[in-house]
Amino acid sequence: MKISFRRLLLPALCLLILSGLAFGEPAAPIGYSLDPFGGTSINRRSGSTLSKPQPSGWDVEGLDSSACYQPPDLPVLVAQSSKPYLKEEELELEEQPDTIADPLEPVNRIFFHVNDKLYFWALKPIASGYKAVVPEDLRLGFKNFFSNLTTPVRLVNCLLQANFKGAGNETIRLLLNSTLGLGGFLDPAKTELRIEKRDEDFGQTLGFWGIGPAFYIEWPILGASSLRDTFGYAGDLLLDPKTYLIRAVPVGLAIRTYDQVNETSLRIGEYEDFKRSTLDPYIAKREAYHQNRKHKIKNR
Amino acid sequence: MNRTFLIQAMLYLSFTFGMVVPGFAGEPQDQLRETTDKVLSVLADPDLKGPSKATERRERIQKIVDERFDWEEMARRSLARHWTQRTPEEKREFVPLFKALLERVYADKVEGYSWNKILYEVETIDGDYAAIKVKIFTAKDQTIHVEYRTRKKGSHWLVYDFSVEGVGLVNNYRTQFNEIILKSSYQELVKRLKTKSAQN
Repeated sequence: MKISFRRLLLPALCLLILSGLAFGEPAAPIGYSLDPFGGTSINRRSGSTLSKPQPSGWDVEGLDSSACYQPPDLPVLVAQSSKPYLKEEELELEEQPDTIADPLEPVNRIFFHVNDKLYFWALKPIASGYKAVVPEDLRLGFKNFFSNLTTPVRLVNCLLQANFKGAGNETIRLLLNSTLGLGGFLDPAKTELRIEKRDEDFGQTLGFWGIGPAFYIEWPILGASSLRDTFGYAGDLLLDPKTYLIRAVPVGLAIRTYDQVNETSLRIGEYEDFKRSTLDPYIAKREAYHQNRKHKIKNR
Repeated sequence: MNRTFLIQAMLYLSFTFGMVVPGFAGEPQDQLRETTDKVLSVLADPDLKGPSKATERRERIQKIVDERFDWEEMARRSLARHWTQRTPEEKREFVPLFKALLERVYADKVEGYSWNKILYEVETIDGDYAAIKVKIFTAKDQTIHVEYRTRKKGSHWLVYDFSVEGVGLVNNYRTQFNEIILKSSYQELVKRLKTKSAQN
C-alpha cells in the first residue's frame, strides 16, 4: 500500500501533541496578555510612556495599538504579564534558566559541526561569489520576490492564530507587491504603506496553541529546529506554493537553494560575528534559537 | 458619524502630542538615548573614519558605553548561582574578562551595521528597574528589535542586560557558562575567556 504523506500527518500530529505536552513548558499566557485591567504594554510610535489602560469601553484587542487613546497620564507603568526577569529576587530564586531540553545533544553537536563546515566550505564561498557578481539591489529584489511567494504560509498561519489583522496585512502585501511591486521584487507595501511582513510559520502556530518545543534538533543543512518546529516546517511545505507549482523535485530543490544562497549573500559575516562572541557556539545557537522562537510566538 | 469624527480627532491629537512632546519619555530612556546618540556621533564623525582610526573609535565608544553599562551586574547575572561560590579575587578577575568579551561584541555590532533610524518604543518602569524597547532600522531594510534592561544606581540608569529579537545576552552567556562550569570547571571557563580575549 502506498503510504501518502497526508496519511502520516494525523498520527504524527497526535504524537507531536503528546510529546509536546509531556516535554513542553506550560503554555505561555498569550491569550491573557490583553487583559484591559491588568498590565498591557501598548506601542506608541513615539518614545512615550505607557499608562494604565482605562476601562473606557474600548476594545483593546480590536483596535490598532496606535489608535488607543490614553489620557496623558504620569508615567505610571505596569510590568508586562509575562515577566521578563526584572527583579533581583527572581534571579536568586531561579535555579535553572529556561533552556530547551536537548536529549539528542551528541548527535546535534555532530550535525552542528557539519553545518558549520558546510557554511564555510560551501555556502559562504558560493554566496560571496554571487555577491560579487550581482548588485545588492537585485539581491534584495530576489529576497522580496521569494518572500512574496511564501505569503500563503504566513497568511494561513495568521488565520490559525486568529490574527485577522495580520492576515489582512499579508493579503494587502501580496496584492500590492505583486502588482505595484513588479511581481514581488519591490516592496511598496513596506516603503509606502509601512505594512511590514508578519513572520509566521506553522511551528509558531503550534506554539501559540500551547505545544512546547519538546526538544532541540539540529538538522544537517536545514539547521536549528525543535521537534515541534520540524512538524511546523513540514506543515509549511504543504502551504508553500512552490511545492505545488514545481512538480519536479530537483527544480524545487534548486530554487530553494538559490533562495538560501541569495539570503546568505545579504548576511555574510553574521555567523562569523556570532561565533566570535561565544565560548560555546553550539549552546549559544541552541539557546538563541529557543529564545527567538519564544519571542516570535509571543509576538503573534 | 459625528462621534466617529470626534474620536478620530482625539486620536490624531493624542498621536501628535505623543510625537511632539518629548516630556513623555522617562528618565531611563533619556539617559539611554544620550548614550546611543554619543556612540552614533562617534561613528558619524568624519575625523574618525577609516580603518586607521579604528582603535581610537573603539576606545571612544568603550568610554561612552562604560558610563551606561553595568558590567559587574552583567557578569554576576551571567554566572548566576556560580557567582556566590567565587572568591573576591576570582570575581575581580572575572568582571574585566567578561567586559572585554562583550565590548568587542558590541563594538563589532555597532560598526557593522549602517544605522538609519532608531525608534524608541515602549518604556516600562517598575521601581528601580526599567525596560526600554527599541527598533533599529538599518540601511538594508532590516528591522531589529532590541530591548534594554536597566536598573537605577544613584541617579544613573545602568544597563544590565539587553536582548536582540528576544535573545537575551545575559541568558545566553549564562547557559554557556553554566555548561562549561558543570562539564569542566570554573578555571576552564576563565581559561577560555582569556584565550578568547587574546584571539580578539
